[in-house]
Amino acid sequence: MLSLPRKMAGMEEQVKLLVALQDLDLMIKEANDADTSSEMKQMGFKFDGIAELSKARENLSKRIRPQLLNRYERLAKSYGRAVVPVTGNLCLGCFVTLPTSYPSLKSKDSFLTCQNCGRILYFP
Amino acid sequence: MRTMMKPHELAEFFHESLCIFDLKAVDKHTALQEMVNCVGDRLRFKDRDLLLDMLVNRESLGSTAIGKGVAFPHGRSLAIQELIVLFARSVEGIDFDALDSKPTHLFFLIIAPPQDRDNLYLQVLGHLVELIKTPALRKRLMEVNTFGELRDALASA
Repeated sequence: MLSLPRKMAGMEEQVKLLVALQDLDLMIKEANDADTSSEMKQMGFKFDGIAELSKARENLSKRIRPQLLNRYERLAKSYGRAVVPVTGNLCLGCFVTLPTSYPSLKSKDSFLTCQNCGRILYFP
Repeated sequence: MRTMMKPHELAEFFHESLCIFDLKAVDKHTALQEMVNCVGDRLRFKDRDLLLDMLVNRESLGSTAIGKGVAFPHGRSLAIQELIVLFARSVEGIDFDALDSKPTHLFFLIIAPPQDRDNLYLQVLGHLVELIKTPALRKRLMEVNTFGELRDALASA
């Protein structure tokens, strides 16, 4: 059972859903990667539930606003990672320092993007 | 081919605050939750549900309980910044959908950021899986009660 909110959530929750989606996309990518999956299988792990992950991705996508999801998909295509964490005012996507006032600009109706690379910012 | 990590190097990834010697959980979901809460407490981490969801998804790909009473819940998440290794033990044992259908007693939770240096995550996971194949180590880990004893058991394996 997943623990993230079921309803179409406020923007901060929407960004969290994007982080969950990106984690899931990475898991699917690694499960489909021949080298990684072979290494995991050699360790003794089963990798037979890729269909389950695809279903989970579909369900998660439905809870994200279409406009935000489109933006995520576009950025993921360009950069690989569409959402990046911010640590010490640094965008960990392009390593540009963000203005110190940036976190305070977050509101329940908007999300923040890096002014240099355009990636969606996540504040852990 | 990966370089073999020495047992004492592996032991360095463990931390006193990331050990649960007596898991209270009685099922798979609450066991994951208890381990994630321990990580959250140590890192003062707000989005624990992100880690929990990632681990639940990983379990749906295939159980991480590889048998002989041991499980390695693992995965990558953007929500964390550094490699996390947690040890947990359930004396009673938990049904973790193990490959041999037996209860799981020993847990090694490993969580890494999406990109980690030298793919440390897979190295640590691989070496732990190898080490734990030794029956004497599994027996010893069922008896350790302090972080020092855990570290000694791993370092001398």
